[in-house]
Amino acid sequence: MRRSGFIVILAGMLIMAACSSNTGAPAADTDNAQAQEQAEELVIADQQIAASLDPVEPLTTSYLVSVGAAETLFKVNADGEVDAALAASARELDPNRWEITLREEARFWSGKAIDADAVIASLERSRELDLQAQPFLDGLRLEKSDDYTIHVHTERSHVPVPLNLSYYQTAIHNAEAEHDAVESMDLTGMYQVIEFVPKQKMVLAAYEDYWGTKPTIERILHEEISDEQTRMLSVLSGRSHIALKVPVTSLAQFQDSDTAEVVASQAANTQTIYFNLARPQLADERVRQALSWAIDREELIILAAEGQSVPVTTWLGSNPAYAEASDSVYPSFSNETAEQLLDEAGWQLADDGIRYKDGLPLSVRLMTWGGDKALGEALQSQWSRVGINAEVRHGDYSLIQTARETGDWDASIEAWSTFGDPYTLLSGQYAPGSSANYGGYDDAQTNEWLAQLAESADPAEQREWALKINERVAQQAPVISLFPRPQLTAVSTKLQGFEQHFRQFENIVKANMRWEAE
Amino acid sequence: MHSTRRSVSLIAGTVLLGLLAVLIAGAHWISPYDPVQQHAAERLEKPSAQHPFGTDRFGRDLLARTLHGGQITLLSAMAALSGALAIGLAVGLAAGMFHNSLLDRLFMRMIDVLLAFPFMVLAMVVAALFGTSLFHLLLAVIAVGWVTFARLARSVVLQARNETSFAAARVLGASNRTLILRELAPKALSPVLILATFELGSLILSIAALSFLGLGAQPPTPEWGSMLADGREYVLQSPHIMFGPALFIMLSVLAFNLIGEGLRDRLDPYEKPQL
Amino acid sequence: MAVLLRKLMEALLTLICATVILFMLIRLAPGDPAVLLLGQPSEVAAMHTEVYEQKAAELREQWGLDQPMAIQYVSWLGRLVQLDLGTSLHTGRAVSAELAERLPATLQLTAAALAVQLLLGFWLGIVSALKAGTFSDQLIRLACVTLASTPAFVTGLCALLLFAVTLGAYEISSEASWSRLWLPALTMGLASMPQFARMVRANMLAELGQTYVLAALSRGLARRRVIGQASRNALLPLVTVTALSAATFASGAVVIESLFAWPGIGKYALDSILRKDYPVIQGYAFVMVTLVILIHLCVDVLYAYIDPRLQRKRRQVTRGVNEHA
Repeated sequence: MRRSGFIVILAGMLIMAACSSNTGAPAADTDNAQAQEQAEELVIADQQIAASLDPVEPLTTSYLVSVGAAETLFKVNADGEVDAALAASARELDPNRWEITLREEARFWSGKAIDADAVIASLERSRELDLQAQPFLDGLRLEKSDDYTIHVHTERSHVPVPLNLSYYQTAIHNAEAEHDAVESMDLTGMYQVIEFVPKQKMVLAAYEDYWGTKPTIERILHEEISDEQTRMLSVLSGRSHIALKVPVTSLAQFQDSDTAEVVASQAANTQTIYFNLARPQLADERVRQALSWAIDREELIILAAEGQSVPVTTWLGSNPAYAEASDSVYPSFSNETAEQLLDEAGWQLADDGIRYKDGLPLSVRLMTWGGDKALGEALQSQWSRVGINAEVRHGDYSLIQTARETGDWDASIEAWSTFGDPYTLLSGQYAPGSSANYGGYDDAQTNEWLAQLAESADPAEQREWALKINERVAQQAPVISLFPRPQLTAVSTKLQGFEQHFRQFENIVKANMRWEAE
Repeated sequence: MHSTRRSVSLIAGTVLLGLLAVLIAGAHWISPYDPVQQHAAERLEKPSAQHPFGTDRFGRDLLARTLHGGQITLLSAMAALSGALAIGLAVGLAAGMFHNSLLDRLFMRMIDVLLAFPFMVLAMVVAALFGTSLFHLLLAVIAVGWVTFARLARSVVLQARNETSFAAARVLGASNRTLILRELAPKALSPVLILATFELGSLILSIAALSFLGLGAQPPTPEWGSMLADGREYVLQSPHIMFGPALFIMLSVLAFNLIGEGLRDRLDPYEKPQL
Repeated sequence: MAVLLRKLMEALLTLICATVILFMLIRLAPGDPAVLLLGQPSEVAAMHTEVYEQKAAELREQWGLDQPMAIQYVSWLGRLVQLDLGTSLHTGRAVSAELAERLPATLQLTAAALAVQLLLGFWLGIVSALKAGTFSDQLIRLACVTLASTPAFVTGLCALLLFAVTLGAYEISSEASWSRLWLPALTMGLASMPQFARMVRANMLAELGQTYVLAALSRGLARRRVIGQASRNALLPLVTVTALSAATFASGAVVIESLFAWPGIGKYALDSILRKDYPVIQGYAFVMVTLVILIHLCVDVLYAYIDPRLQRKRRQVTRGVNEHA
C-alpha cells in the first residue's frame, strides 16, 4: 500500500531523469547537425553587443563597425596608416582645408546614393547627438563642393582630418532614416542587419549591392555572452567561432584545444597609474619617481597579465609609431633607486616596515576597477617592499569618478588609447584642466612644448615635440606607465582570414574571411 | 532511541566545528607561509607536499590563505550575526512588549517591507552603491538579517505575556524595563539563539555568494568567497584553486547546520517549527 | 469583506514604504545620473567639456534632478502609477520593455526549478517522514544537510565543468532554449530542495502524531487512506512555501542565471547593478517587491477564508526559501 505511493513518486523521478537525459543527448546531436547546417553562419560572442540600432547612441557604432554593418569614410590599417574606405580619397589643399572625394557607386542599404549631402548630414547628426563624436568633429566645418566632393575647413592648422574621420563614432548613416528598427535603419556596410534583440543578439546577412569586395561568409550572428568563462567555453565547444575580450587567465585553456586558438594583438593603449598631485606625499616628485622605480613591470605582467604584454615606461611607448620611447625613462626596475629617493625625500623606514615622515606613514591608496583587480594586488605587493603602506580599493568606475570630483583619492588606473593625433592625445592627458589630467598636472615646460606641438606643421617635427613631452612627463611622473593592456581574441581553427589589429575591437569581420575547406 | 540519534548530529556538528576552529585558529602553526606574500616563481602550482592546496596566481600558498581566510570569513559572519541578533532581539522585545502600539505596527510594517525585497538584490544594491568592501557587505547582510530574529522574539514575547509570572510581575508594579529584561528577554533568548545557529550557516553562504559576485573583501585580504571568485578565472586551467575555500565553506556550514538540526530535534521531537 | 479591505490597505502601505526606501537608496548612492547617461569618453580622453557640461545640465533639468527630493519622489510615484518605469541609462530603452523581454526566460527557469524542488522535496520528505528514525531517513537527512551546506554556485560550476566541458552534453550560449534549461533548473531546484524536504518531513511527522491519525489507525482504518488524508492536511500549508519559492525564483536567481548565462531577470539585475543603471535597478526592485507583496496578499486572503487557524502557521514560513541561490 504505501509502496504504491512510493512507486508513483519513483516513476515521476525516472520520467524526470529521462527527460533531462533526453534533452541532454539531443542537445549534443542538434549541436552537430547545426554545426553542419550552419557552416555558413559565423557566430561571434562578445562581452556586450549593441543596445540600440541608432549609430549616435553610445558604443552602438563600435559594434556596428566591428561586424561590418557600418563604415567610416577612412580606416586605420594594422600598420597604423589611414586608408580610404567609404571615401575614395582625401588630400590636403592647404593647412586649414581638406578635400574628400566620395565613391559614386556606393549606396546605402535603401539604395540611396552616398553623396556629399548625405555624408554631411550624417556627420552633422553625429556631432549634434553623439557626445562621443565631439572630439573628432570639433573645429571641423563641412562644405559641399560638388555632388561627390566635400571640403573640410579646420580651425587649427594641420589637423589630420582623415584620421579624425576614421574613428567609429563618425560612421556614415542615412540621417533621414529612422534608426529604431531593423527595417528602417539605413547604413552602408557589407553586412545588413536582419534581426536584432537588444543586448542579446544581432543577425546579419551579406548586403548584395555592396560597393567593395563582397564577403564570402553569408551570415553572421553577433551574440552577447557577458560572462567571461561562459564565453570561453562557448568558443572552446565550437558553438561560436570568434570570442572577443578573452581574459588572460583563460589562455591555458586554449593550449590543448584544437577547436580554437588565441590571437594576441598588441593594443595601442597604456595601463597607467594616475596620481593625485594635491596629496602632500604625492606632490613630491621624488616620491612619485620612487613609486615608478619600485615597480617590477616584468613581474607585474606575469602576475596580472599572464605574460601577455611588454613593459612600457613612458605613456606613448605603447603606440607602434613611438616604439623607441617604450623604455626611455626607468629602463630597469630598481628598488635601490626607489629607496634612495624616498630617503632623500625624508621618508624614513621604521621598525614596522613602513616609511614615516613627521610621524605620518607613507600611504598610497590605489583605486582599480573592471579587470584590474589583480594588477592592483600585484602593485600593492611590490610597493610594500620599499616601505610604502599601499592599499587597494577595487570597485566600480563611478566610485573613482566620485572620488575624483571630491578630490579624495591618491591613485587610480586607466588605459587610454595612445594612437591618434599626438596633440589631441598629449594635451588631453597633460594640459591643465584637460579631461584626462585627473591629478592636476601643470608644468610650465610641458605647457610650452604642447603649444609648440600645436603649431608645428611638419609631421617629423610634431613627432620630435611629442617625444620630448612624453619623456618630460615620464621623468616628472604625475603618471606611471606600466604596459599595454593585452588584447586577446579566441578564433576557431575552422575560420580563416582573421586579422590582427591594434584596434581589434572595431576590426573583427573581414570580407575575405572564409571557412577552411573540409 | 530517538535521543541517541538526535545527539549524533549535535555531536558530529560540534566535533566538526571544533576541528575547523582548531585548524583556523592554528593557521600560523599549520602552514608556515604568509597568506599575502607573493612569489611570482611559484604561481599556480598544483597541490604538493610543500603546498597541500597548491598556490594561486600570485604564488601564495592556498592552505595558508584558506586557514587565515577562515578567521576573516567566520569572524565577519559572527559579526553580522551578532549585529542582526542584537537589532532583532531589541526590536522583537519592544514590539512584543508594546503589542499593538504604534511602535509595534511600525516595526511590523518595516519587517513586511524588508521581507518583500529580494534579499540578494537588496544586499547587492547596498554593497554596489556604497562601494565594495567587507564592511558594507556586512551592513547589507545585517540590514536584512535582523528581521528573522525580530519576528521570532516578538512571537515568543507575545506568548510569554500571557503567562502568570508576567501578569504577577506586572501586578507587583514592575517597570516596563524590568519586565522586558527580567521576564521577557530570558524567555526569548534560547529559541533565538537556536535559530541563530542555523542562520549562521546561511549567513556564511550569503556572504560567500555576494563575495563570489565581486562585492566582498578588498585585496589582498583572504576571504573564502572572494578566493572562490579569484579562482573562478582559472577554473579550467587550475580547478584546485577553488578546492580549499569551497571545502571549508561547505564544512563550516555543514557544522552549523548539524548543530542546528540537533538542537531543534532536542527541543521538539516532531520538529515542529517553533514559533 | 472587512478582512479583505484591511489586508489590501496593509499591502498598499507596505508598498508605499518600500518605494520610499527604494527611492532613498538610489538617491543616496554616489554618482551623477546625468553623467552616467551621457556615457564616458570611450577611448580618447578628450571630451569637449563645455558641450558636455551643457548637455549634462540640460538632462538634469529634463529629469527634474535639480528639484527637491520630495517632489522628485512624488513625480516618480506618479510615473509608476502610469506603469512607466523609466528608461535604462545604458540602453536608452524603456525598463518595462527590457524586463518584459527577459521575463519568459526567468519564468521558464522558475517553473522547471520549482518542478525539481517539488518532486524531489515531496518524495524525500515523505519517505523520510514515513521511515522516521530508520537508516534511509538518516541518509536522506544527511544528504539534504550536505546539499544545503554547499553554495549553489559551487554546485553550478561543478555541473557546468562536468556536463559542458568534460562530457560536452551541454550547449553553451546565451540563449534561453529548452535544451539549455535542464542544468540551471536542476542546480536551482537542488539548492532549494533540502529546506523544502525538511518542511515536508516536519509537517508530515506533526500530522502523523495527531490524535485523529492514531485513533483512525487504532480503529482499523486502512493505513494507506489514513496516510493519504494526513498528507493532504500536512501539505496544505506548503502552498505558501511553494508560492514564495516561486517568487524568489522569479525575482531571479542572480548567481545561477549569470553562471549559466541564462538571459533572465536576475542576470539583468546583476548587470544593471554592476553598471549602475539606476532606473533599471529601481524599476526591477519595484516590480519584484510588488510581486512579493501581491503573493503575500493572495495567500493571506486565501487562508483568511479557507482556514483562519492557518494564518499563524503561514507566518512562520514567509521568509524567502532560497535566499542564497
